[in-house]
Amino acid sequence: MDFDFSPVVTNWRFLASGLVLTIVLALASMTGATLVGTAVGIARHYGPRWLGLVLALYIDSMRAIPVLVVLVLPMIVDIQLSPFATGLVALTAHLGAYVAEIVRAGIASIRPGQTRAALALGMSRVQVVRKIVLPQAIVRMLPAYGSILSITIKDTAIATVIAVPELMRQSETIAAQSFRPLEVFTTTMLVFFLLLFPVTRGVDAVYRRVQHLGRS
Amino acid sequence: MTAYARIGAGTQPVIVYHEVVKRYGSFTALDRVSGQVNRGEVVCLIGPSGSGKSTLLRCTNALEPFDGGRVLFDGVELPRAESEARHVRRRMGMVFQNFELFPHMTALDNVAVGRVTVLGEAKAAARKRARSLLAKVGLSDKEASYPATLSGGQQQRVAIARALAMDPEVMLFDEPTSALDPETIGEVLNVMKQLADEGMTMVVVTHEMTFARRVGNWIIVFDHGRIVEEGPPAQIFDRPREQRTKDFFSHLGWGG
Ligand SMILES: Nc1ncnc2c1ncn2[C@@H]1O[C@H](COP(=O)(O)OP(=O)(O)O)[C@@H](O)[C@H]1O
Ligand SMILES: [Mg+2]
Repeated sequence: MDFDFSPVVTNWRFLASGLVLTIVLALASMTGATLVGTAVGIARHYGPRWLGLVLALYIDSMRAIPVLVVLVLPMIVDIQLSPFATGLVALTAHLGAYVAEIVRAGIASIRPGQTRAALALGMSRVQVVRKIVLPQAIVRMLPAYGSILSITIKDTAIATVIAVPELMRQSETIAAQSFRPLEVFTTTMLVFFLLLFPVTRGVDAVYRRVQHLGRS
Repeated sequence: MTAYARIGAGTQPVIVYHEVVKRYGSFTALDRVSGQVNRGEVVCLIGPSGSGKSTLLRCTNALEPFDGGRVLFDGVELPRAESEARHVRRRMGMVFQNFELFPHMTALDNVAVGRVTVLGEAKAAARKRARSLLAKVGLSDKEASYPATLSGGQQQRVAIARALAMDPEVMLFDEPTSALDPETIGEVLNVMKQLADEGMTMVVVTHEMTFARRVGNWIIVFDHGRIVEEGPPAQIFDRPREQRTKDFFSHLGWGG
């Protein structure tokens, strides 16, 4: 069997535009998920009980529902958004739940003595969280956060089902047009790997350097 | 024995405990504790572990809410509201058994952070002050070090400097040397002795009987959430009245 990578080569701009969108969608969802997750994680740890129960419901449902279903949910309930916006909202909501759990676990892992020491200086509760607890929790969260980041990049591929023209969608188009799915998808796989490998390794390397800052 | 005049007896006490009760569920950790700490005194709290010493210390600076009685600081009852408790806490320094330095800050910033965050002082001014305090505890060469790279004794001295940075009127120590290697205990006790000599009012929970005897002016013996007896060191250590005090000393292997 002959391999023919010419469809990939001739359509590289088309595929590259997909790669750019994959990265943009991943970064935007991750930013959204970080904001949502941090707020939810803090609220669950420090907030009143009723709020904790409401947020637990959000987290549990996001963890129970496949991301694919979350993606098509806006269509089912007939909310009109562009495919990109739909993907962004769905991924943010889905991943935000995971980030929230990471943030909550990170905060809970800081021993109460740190809070006591900060309060004893006269800090307010808000100052304690901002200046003392969160900075340490963020350091401890890094490895788990790195995993979520790579999952996010991979999850963007699922957005193909709602026609977001990201890397997977563009690859499918070229594969169908050229009848060369093997070559096209091999290339796609390789591109994902080349994107993710430095990301996971990079986060690990950063973590090793700053690890001691979270060790109380 | 002639009547013992307690240090600071003529002035208003810095801290007064009046029938303080603290419960954890059905367990009574503090059982109607009454007593006082005078200005310039070094009061040592001794007693078996689990007897409520740390609990009393945490009730002193409103870190722990209590269920009954009153605590007065500088003649004013401790506030219940968190927003007001802050203003009382910053007037008392606290030192913990596990140091509790902030691991994401250098030694210098650990000492400066209180002044910057709580007093709103400019960073440069706070660091200048922090520098002089690190010098005072003998750690000028460790300004840029992170806590993880310091020995236990060094960490505890930074923690003392951190508490002193707020210019406290009283210092609370909760077993400051219990987590230390024997060879570094001395350097921490020396700093505390120096503070006492400067006239700092101190409440010290400790198992260091030699320190309590030589530096303490007033000893309070705790057991089961109650004060068993109190008095000047010579009385408590040489002529304890209560059997439970004697039991505690013999348990420590401390000749009484
Ligand atoms: N947060 C808590 N919840 C339940 N029990 C506690 C708590 N803190 C302390 N206690 C109990 O209160 C008692 C007194 O504790 P503590 O003040 O730490 O004693 P000490 O400092 O004298 O060793 C102990 O029996 C301890 O188990
Ligand atoms: Mg204790």
